[in-house]
Amino acid sequence: MSGGPLIVQSDKTLLLEIDHPDAQSCRMAIAPFAELERSPEHVHTYRLTPLGLWNARAAGHDAEAVVDALLKYSRYPVPHALLVDVAETMDRYGRLQLANDPAHGLVLRALDRLVLIEVAKSKKLAGMLGAKLDDDTIAVHPSERGRLKQALLKLGWPAEDLAGYVDGEAHPIELAEGGKDGGKPFTLRSYQREAVEAFWAGGSGVVVLPCGAGKTLVGAAAMAEAKATTLILVTNTVAGRQWKRELIARTSLTEEEIGEYSGERKEIRPVTIATYQVLTSRRGGAFTHLDLFGARDWGLVVYDEVHLLPAPIFRFTADLQARRRLGLTATLVREDGREGDVFSLIGPKRYDAPWKDIEQQGWIAPAQCTEVRVTLTDAERMSYATAEAEERYRMAATARTKLPVVRALVDRHPDEQVLVIGGYIDQLHQLGEYLDAPIVQGSTTNKERERLFDAFRSGEVRTLVISKVGNFSIDLPEAAVAIQVSGTFGSRQEEAQRLGRVLRPKADGRQAHFYTVVSRDTIDTEYAAHRQRFLAEQGYAYTIVDADDVLGPPLPSVD
Amino acid sequence: MTTSLADHLRTLPDESLAALLQLRPDLVVPVPADVSALAVRAQSRVSVARALDGLDQFTLQILDAARLTRDPDDGTTSTEAVLAMATAGPRPPAPATIRGAVHKLRALFLLYGPEHALRVVDGVDEVAPYPAGLGRPATELDARTAALCADPAKLRRTLLAAPPSARAILDRLAAGPPVGSVPPGALQAPPLGAEDSVPPDPTNGGAPTGSPVRWLVDSRLLVAVSAGTVELPREVGLLLRRDSGPLGPLRTSPPPVAAVAREAKAVDSAGAGQTMEVVRHTEALLELLSAEPAPVLRSGGIGVRDLRRLAKALALDEATTALLLEVAYAAGLAGELELSGATTTRYGADQQVLPSGGYEVWRAMSLARRWEQLARAWLLMTRQVGLVGQRDDRDRPIGALSPEAERAGAPAARRAVLAVLADLEPAVAPTPEEVLELLDWRAPRRSRGREAAHREALVEAARLGVTGLGALTSYGRLLLADVAEADERGGDDPLGLRADAEDASTAVRALDGLLPAPVDHFLVQADLTVVVPGPPDPALAGELEVVAEHESAGGASVHRVTTASVRRALDAGYSADDLHDLFRRRSRTPVPQGLTYLVDDVARKHGGLRVGSAGGYVRSDDEALLAEVLADRRLEALAFRRLAPTVLVTPYQVNRMLLALRDAGYAPVPEDASGAAVLSRPRTRRAPGRAPVGRTVDPLASPKLALPRLLGVVEQIRRGEAAARAARRAPAVVRGTAARTGPAPAHGHSDALAVLQQAVRDKALVWVGYVDAHGATASRLVRPVSIGAGYLRAEDERTEMLHTFALHRITAAVLEGS
Repeated sequence: MSGGPLIVQSDKTLLLEIDHPDAQSCRMAIAPFAELERSPEHVHTYRLTPLGLWNARAAGHDAEAVVDALLKYSRYPVPHALLVDVAETMDRYGRLQLANDPAHGLVLRALDRLVLIEVAKSKKLAGMLGAKLDDDTIAVHPSERGRLKQALLKLGWPAEDLAGYVDGEAHPIELAEGGKDGGKPFTLRSYQREAVEAFWAGGSGVVVLPCGAGKTLVGAAAMAEAKATTLILVTNTVAGRQWKRELIARTSLTEEEIGEYSGERKEIRPVTIATYQVLTSRRGGAFTHLDLFGARDWGLVVYDEVHLLPAPIFRFTADLQARRRLGLTATLVREDGREGDVFSLIGPKRYDAPWKDIEQQGWIAPAQCTEVRVTLTDAERMSYATAEAEERYRMAATARTKLPVVRALVDRHPDEQVLVIGGYIDQLHQLGEYLDAPIVQGSTTNKERERLFDAFRSGEVRTLVISKVGNFSIDLPEAAVAIQVSGTFGSRQEEAQRLGRVLRPKADGRQAHFYTVVSRDTIDTEYAAHRQRFLAEQGYAYTIVDADDVLGPPLPSVD
Repeated sequence: MTTSLADHLRTLPDESLAALLQLRPDLVVPVPADVSALAVRAQSRVSVARALDGLDQFTLQILDAARLTRDPDDGTTSTEAVLAMATAGPRPPAPATIRGAVHKLRALFLLYGPEHALRVVDGVDEVAPYPAGLGRPATELDARTAALCADPAKLRRTLLAAPPSARAILDRLAAGPPVGSVPPGALQAPPLGAEDSVPPDPTNGGAPTGSPVRWLVDSRLLVAVSAGTVELPREVGLLLRRDSGPLGPLRTSPPPVAAVAREAKAVDSAGAGQTMEVVRHTEALLELLSAEPAPVLRSGGIGVRDLRRLAKALALDEATTALLLEVAYAAGLAGELELSGATTTRYGADQQVLPSGGYEVWRAMSLARRWEQLARAWLLMTRQVGLVGQRDDRDRPIGALSPEAERAGAPAARRAVLAVLADLEPAVAPTPEEVLELLDWRAPRRSRGREAAHREALVEAARLGVTGLGALTSYGRLLLADVAEADERGGDDPLGLRADAEDASTAVRALDGLLPAPVDHFLVQADLTVVVPGPPDPALAGELEVVAEHESAGGASVHRVTTASVRRALDAGYSADDLHDLFRRRSRTPVPQGLTYLVDDVARKHGGLRVGSAGGYVRSDDEALLAEVLADRRLEALAFRRLAPTVLVTPYQVNRMLLALRDAGYAPVPEDASGAAVLSRPRTRRAPGRAPVGRTVDPLASPKLALPRLLGVVEQIRRGEAAARAARRAPAVVRGTAARTGPAPAHGHSDALAVLQQAVRDKALVWVGYVDAHGATASRLVRPVSIGAGYLRAEDERTEMLHTFALHRITAAVLEGS
């Protein structure tokens, strides 16, 4: 028994005890092949998946090294069967290769002829493979590259993609680290630098960083690395403008070089920012804006908030396998369970950092999460009790009892910029009146939104009530307090994204506060528990307080 | 020759005889009466086969050399001759090695006699008919072949002339065994050179040309010994073996193992990890069986569907599940339970497999001991689990625990494989092929045809953690030694009195050192997971089973506290304080606030609704009245309980309560399920309704008959009369009694036919006497319609039916009125 920090479970999870002196070196040793699944305060959970093991193979780690790492750090004997399984799984990678043949273009080449015969017979690959060139080689149409890789992965024979990437149309892009037009000089943070390097070495993939940790900058740095025309896909127009602002400030790009492709404007420039919405809009059943992908010889495609990528974009992405793809997200948790598609089409996870680690390094604001439980009035309880099942969450989430609690919370932070986030428009209007604060919702025009956000940034408006539109990609660095009153049922990533609104580091290193107001003894509490799971797994421990403690005159400390 | 072995044995001193008996213990079962009986037995086929089974490849080859060098006249050979033959090939082994082998054979009395006149015991030739894979001498086979063999130059020329396909056949037969089978018809061939005149041969694929075998037979290089079998004469075989030596390639020592030596620690660690898995999976398997026992099929064993279910629940493959099930059964942890009476399951089974009483004992043991019990059972069980899932001779699937998978040789196969591993250096991991090769060298006669069983034994050993990374683990080695020692001790301690079950065996102690020690604490985290960083001690495991859901198992275990699990704990009698205390006491880390809230929340809601049963209730809006009822001493017997100020309940039925309340002077009104008052007007009891008596008839008035009815009655009477007359008038010839005493029946029968034929033509009525299906005689007045195909068809006018009589049953026929 080595007394190491790692415990290998038979369901292929690895438990890493982080208080152990060897924990850090163990983390470095297992990170290349194991997926970090949960990182609560004491024991982090990693998982050995075929995908992770194959990625490790792709990155040059062999089975022997994986087994050695497991044996070296494992506290207890590792089951023989698991080691055998790891070795066998890794052995499946690379028996097939996708390569560029000088004469025939893209080909699928076998190092193990039997595997090629097996997959060629598979029904799932029907139509993807072309003519058989010789016993070990089959021609592949370049447009099938992504689908073929995806299908091979499902068959358990992942192909090594040696076909490389097209460079795309060159376009000079530099990071303006020295500061531009009188802007402040800056340098890439260490983890941003690592993320870009990991992405560039892997060719394509997803970078997972907490909200507020500067994902835009990672994108900008990747563009500077590619030095090519870039297509950036974002969730909405406001986020697109933020990208534009950021790119102008942080890179050598000028306003004329960046185009916006949205519902309002259709500009195609060397760097084009398009929204998911406009790409997935259809007329007469056909996607009308697909030409954008072929409009230029893009050298890099950046997907912002990749966890929200709509299904049609997945399909378009399958055709873009020869182009470098960068996915950015804070929470690679898809409520539809399509993480696997993200991996196979955009690329594997190239960089991931536990939120708490980045917080400790001071790059995101330390946050305190508090769940405030309000007790419904008897009348509210009665109407809740007799409500239809589908109405219950709305009843519980929009209870009027929450209003005074929200006001008390706002009053508690008189010097801070406060966001009040909710999912139900009626409730938001109530709140807006009650708090006398402006509202940003889906129907608010982009211009009005910009104005309100600017006012909020400048401190003119202290409290802003926002609906679901504020879930993502709004850069409001001064927001230090977020109060969530209702949400989209039990969505884990929504909770994390909302916390992300207050995580941008504050000028004076203040603490951020995230409150979620829930109704006690209702389905609201259950959803809240589910929503908090992702953050709890990232090590954010919620403190639960009673609404009476918030409302009561002398405020006791909740720490 | 028998006498000579007996004579030889008689001359031996006691020690030598005892040595023989020790080497071949089967000779003393039963104890032979005298030395000649011993000699007969030592030469018997069975005993010799046993002795040969234990020999390695080299010793067997030396025995073959002794057999081949026997003088054809007196059947003796000598050590010198054996040496000469064994060293004839390239790379001859050292003479000392050969002498050692001869010595071994002599000790076993497979060879006996002085060195210059060694004899081979008779049984050897019966057991292994072809020494060294060579055929019989040509003189014993065929005169013309013998003639060819007597001329070495010609023989060599003929061999060289053989076409390549024929040469390939020769080489294969020369490597042994020297007998080959040929398709029927391949030898029925024309003489050489006359192929063209041969018609196509359908059994040979239509080709008329001579097959290579036919060429060989025609050239006298092969001899057809029986239909479809050819044999290579010894002389030809020896000539073909001139490159490798007359005995074929000789290998004096076991084949070397090229395997990598693993790190001993890594081997033990991998094995120990596997033992933990095995024990955990076995426990899970038995728990599954306990929750839902598997029905035993009529043909024995459990069905494929049940095995699949278990495998799926355990997340294992079916082969491993079958192995664990068989091992657990062999270890006495599971057994069958007879289902009583009519409770047959949908499979129609009346037995179920479920954990036995021994399982409880096993569960309380330490991990290493539990594993040892399983591993021992595996070593000794006479089951070949690899057969499960395959199909038997009748193409039916073989189920787990079914009698079809019983193989008496299974333990021997396992021991042989493990012995090979044990004889290697520690932590050397040979490939399965190497192990099989080693086995083949060590006891070729025993391992032939058992390759599958040996491979399975290797796989099973790895699955059970006896081996790790392909090499035998240190505790596995100790376990083997333990078992071997127990076997030896078994001889002088048949009742196992000295087996001290209290002391852990050395294997258990060794394994204990490798396995993690049980822990009694856990770590609680904010996401409500509870991690036990090691195998939990039984008390902790019991507590966690109640308060948390199991999520992941292995070296450590991960649990999650959920609303449901807390509720379960509360149902099991924990209070909120108990739970807080439990988490505080067991957790090494501060208990997160979320968990505290969860427990409090669930506890607060727990029991918010109360459910019970009652026989009846009393309710009233008048609280004072209810209080009075409750306080009324006369109603004590009703055992009222106040549920609310306005509701009382009693365990007794409504009627009794009503009576008691009325007796006590209250005025209760009963209610039905919807709350409506039930009126209690007395109900009169009535019998079911009856119809009154109908219209009366004047008994004196005579009944009136209508004309049609009268006519009908008359006709009925006439018919009755005719029938009565007919019955009376059946002639004596026709009636059975008369026929039997009358003239010869054959005469009557032919007369009857004539009468019947006439009657068919005349359409006359005939009395027919016949024997019915029960052998009784009967008669009938009929009007014949036709005769044909052995049957008479005739109408009976009385019953207006068409009858069919078998002609041979008709005894007589008389025209009516004659």
